[in-house]
Amino acid sequence: MRRTLPITFALTLLAGALAACQGGGNETSTAAFDPATCQGGTLPVLNQSGITHLDPARLYTSGGGNIPSLLFRTLTTRNRQAGEAGAKPAPDLATDLGTPSDGAKTWTYKLRSDIFFEDGSPITAGDVKYGIERSFAPELPGGAPYLRDWLTGAADYQGPYKQPEGITSIETPDDKTIIFKLSKPEGDFPYLATATQFAPVPKAKDKGADYEKHPVSSGPYMVESYEPKKTLNLVRNPHWSRTSDTLRYACPDRIEVTAGLDSAVINQRLQAGAGADANATTTDANVGPEQLAQLGNGGPLDKQVARGEFPSTTYLAFNTSKKPFDDERVRQALSYAINRTSVVNALGGSAVAGPSTTFLPPQKALGYTPYDYFPAGDAGNAAKAKELLAAAGQSNLSIELSHGNDDSEGIGPKVAAAVQDAFKQAGVTVTLNAIETATYRDVIGKPATQPALALSTWGADWPSGGPFLIPIFDGRQIITAGGNFNLAQYNDPAVNSEIDAINALTDPAAAQARWGALDAKLGKLALVIPLTHEKDVNLFGRNVKNAVPDGWRGQYDLSRVSVK
Amino acid sequence: MIGYVLRRVAGALLVLFGLSVIVYALFYLAPRDPAVLTCGKGCTPERLAQVHAAMGLDESPVAQYGHFLQGLVAGRDFPAGPDVRHCPAPCLGYSFETDQPVTKLLADRLPVSASLAIGAEILSLAIGIGAGLLSGLRRFRFLDRVVNGLILAGYAVPVFLIGLFLLLLFCVRLQWLPFPQYVPLTTDPLAWAQNLLLPWTALAVIQSAGYARLTRAGVQQTLAEDYVRTARAYGLPERRIIRSRALRGALVPLVTLTAIDLAAIMASAVLTETMFGLPGVGQLLVGAVNQIDLPVVVGVTLLTGFLVVVANAIADLLYAAIDPRVQIR
Repeated sequence: MRRTLPITFALTLLAGALAACQGGGNETSTAAFDPATCQGGTLPVLNQSGITHLDPARLYTSGGGNIPSLLFRTLTTRNRQAGEAGAKPAPDLATDLGTPSDGAKTWTYKLRSDIFFEDGSPITAGDVKYGIERSFAPELPGGAPYLRDWLTGAADYQGPYKQPEGITSIETPDDKTIIFKLSKPEGDFPYLATATQFAPVPKAKDKGADYEKHPVSSGPYMVESYEPKKTLNLVRNPHWSRTSDTLRYACPDRIEVTAGLDSAVINQRLQAGAGADANATTTDANVGPEQLAQLGNGGPLDKQVARGEFPSTTYLAFNTSKKPFDDERVRQALSYAINRTSVVNALGGSAVAGPSTTFLPPQKALGYTPYDYFPAGDAGNAAKAKELLAAAGQSNLSIELSHGNDDSEGIGPKVAAAVQDAFKQAGVTVTLNAIETATYRDVIGKPATQPALALSTWGADWPSGGPFLIPIFDGRQIITAGGNFNLAQYNDPAVNSEIDAINALTDPAAAQARWGALDAKLGKLALVIPLTHEKDVNLFGRNVKNAVPDGWRGQYDLSRVSVK
Repeated sequence: MIGYVLRRVAGALLVLFGLSVIVYALFYLAPRDPAVLTCGKGCTPERLAQVHAAMGLDESPVAQYGHFLQGLVAGRDFPAGPDVRHCPAPCLGYSFETDQPVTKLLADRLPVSASLAIGAEILSLAIGIGAGLLSGLRRFRFLDRVVNGLILAGYAVPVFLIGLFLLLLFCVRLQWLPFPQYVPLTTDPLAWAQNLLLPWTALAVIQSAGYARLTRAGVQQTLAEDYVRTARAYGLPERRIIRSRALRGALVPLVTLTAIDLAAIMASAVLTETMFGLPGVGQLLVGAVNQIDLPVVVGVTLLTGFLVVVANAIADLLYAAIDPRVQIR
């Protein structure tokens, strides 16, 4: 929302003016939460942007998403635990997390026997296979790209409409067994199987692009009415059963999503809690400055806030194939010069962002290993930076920094100005180059148009070191035609083979240690300057119970909250 | 009269045709590819090429514009997975972003915008003409000053500030009204009006200022005319002079402005719509521009153009009714 800035500012002023006359909120009940007795009521969800496509083939989610996961069960799903315990997958449609064989190149899943679509027909392995095949259709773009790369011989597959024979590397020997044949070992397959592309789709009900008008539910809720980017009303799916799905509590009888609201208004409504708003939640409005100021002092709003962390890093990306960033000393100098405190402030303060000196965010599941090779302290080490620049013969360095043209994604003008200011202390002149946010990734992802230095963010598609490090540092992932994320243009065969070796591990604990060590090794090269990691602060209405942020997505999970 | 209508219709069609050509041309001049946004993160070049073809973007811009015109006149078929979707004339295509027919998107959102625009205009005119008359007649110098001051203040405050103030006052502090959400007039007229009351007020605070100033100037100007002096000399009651002379003269410019404002609110009250959570045409347009959603941008532009043309035509007819000196030929 481009208009948020003045609106937020105005709201801060007005809220301050009116705060003096506001009464206190109701006390939240402190009784222990019992999923067996939480059923009933209507849960309103107040959101900024609506779901553009409700088609499981087209949704790009981490861990199956928040709202989509109410409708779509997948082979596996996130386990919905709080904190670090929540960064793990759990079986959903499948009976377990899958059986690897052939060195993690083959994954076999058995489906549960008590799983049904909303029309009562049983869910078969063929339905899961068909759902995956649909996501390859160019008519249904937008989903996560991994399967095209991972499945043997699937790169050129164009979906069941053009090629009804299907993908040969997915086998369904019987109705309850599905086998995936991969072109290389992938120990993270159980994590990927949480994506909505692994939701079953009954072929007889597939209407192509119009399927999303009423996608057939396998989860606790089904679509009553849906208007893209406006409203989504969900009611109970009579053929879903609590015994077959213990992860989703499915407390409310009804869920009503309203989209297209301003984030300042959403937070104001959640705080005020007038009428039905006392039961309301949001899945995409981060708390604004006017509420942040009222948090943490024991006031009533402290009982209406969920604080989590989605693994995500904001960083400066060097293009090491371009001068002057081909010189390691220049990259090191700028790493010393950075002022992470001012970047954190530009993002909204320490409540919503924390300083990072590692590329991996501070989640254990990703293999976080602390390091700080170019200590910049809180405010930057300009002296050390000047020294290194002089040694590199770059004492009067002038560089250009590219950034998005709005601040909504944390890579906008505010953060760029903070970076510009820090580098100025080290005698480096920075000119800013704003690029339209909608096409930002497209511009920096094409080596032909990629700037030498760009602000960027990276979030984990699942909580493991692989999806964090591979796209950014695997030299074989450099794509020259576009969609490239290896902005450093870094290609080291030793690193590539270490990535392959870790990918073959099926024990997450063993993989974590190796990903952490790899991150620390890459950190020494100063290919990027890590700036901050994300913190999520979301409000909920005062009657909402069990709004606990899960360790996978950092937000409270709608499948577990109650308004009874 | 028939000649007049034909000329107006031909002119309107020409304007709309020109608008669509300009929007298409601008779209293809800008270095942005909607398929990139549709394809999503991690889209490989091969995949992008497939998506390009599926969206019909692999054809030349001229061919695409040709298809668009054909759809407008005769309807079009779109491949969509197992079935083919038929889009009947007048077909504006399917949104790149949401895959919905543009005509449906417009039809869904026009009632919201029309409700907002018509209510806001009625309120603005009532306040504006009333205040303008009060100050224009200069009966009370003090009142003139006060009204003028208030009007200018209203005119100067941005709509999102007024909107937020109204929301905080009536929905949060006093809780007299629920936070607005659109309820169709046909579903519940009372809830419709109740939910739109705040957005109408917010817009009226700003709009009425212009109307009041126009009315004031018009009334003052007309009252200085010779024919008013003559009427006074003939001993016509002052009430009648004001009603049928002064007000009538002031109404002519007001009609033009109202017509343009009405069309403008329908298409571009995006701040008001976002503030009050109204899914109107303005929100649709801004979202579409950000997402490089050409069919929706063209659709909204044509709709806006159409509304302006119609509003102007109605304004011209009203001129003739109000001012006997104007004749339609």
